[in-house]
Amino acid sequence: MSDMFGAINSAGSGLTVYRQWLDAISDNIANINTARPTSEAAFQQRWVEAAPTGQPGEAGSGVAVSGISLGDPQGRLVYDPQNPLADKNGYVRMPDIDLGEQMVQMIMAQRAYQANLAVIDRARDAYQQALQIGRQS
Amino acid sequence: MSIPAIGGIGAALTSTPPLTGPVGPSDATTTGTDFGKLLGHGLQSVQDAQTHTDQLAVQAATGDLTDVHDYMIASTQSTLMTELTVAVRNKAVEAFNDIMRMPL
Repeated sequence: MSDMFGAINSAGSGLTVYRQWLDAISDNIANINTARPTSEAAFQQRWVEAAPTGQPGEAGSGVAVSGISLGDPQGRLVYDPQNPLADKNGYVRMPDIDLGEQMVQMIMAQRAYQANLAVIDRARDAYQQALQIGRQS
Repeated sequence: MSIPAIGGIGAALTSTPPLTGPVGPSDATTTGTDFGKLLGHGLQSVQDAQTHTDQLAVQAATGDLTDVHDYMIASTQSTLMTELTVAVRNKAVEAFNDIMRMPL
């Protein structure tokens, strides 16, 4: 896009990043009870890595997801002999995800998404005000 | 009370070269961009923005849209660009009417 809407485009790239962060949190919460046998790796927590786009010292280029890193494959061993996946000692491997931490991250991602929406709103208002220059009422 | 901006305009007016009669758009000595070309360029980018918005609207209707905000941003941008085009067009018509109303 053109440089005319630099603020809107930067905030839009932020929205994409925070949407992906929310996707990752949703994935983590959905898999929080996914048990695996001890012979396999546990579900690994997803972490979204963000990085600024564009050159240093340049404004209006935004942010992008640079990668997804994964949490601990060891998980935690839980004694659950009733589970059909349990080994001979009665243990299964559960993902090492803290639900409270995920909820906190979800609030952060949601608030940041809202902040970017507010930037787009203000930028649009500013551009519309600029169009009023020289207009006789 | 003196307003520095108005003084600045006065300085700019005095430094403007004197008018030397009408100069056609085909004159090779003309520097800067032709208004018609500028307008054509602007209209082309408005057209592009609206095509992009239309594509996203089709994606939203078919369920292929991954980012809702992309569609809303594209729609906002094409609305703003159209408003800007209309504002420029109104100013151009206004200028033309002012010239036509000039008492000779």
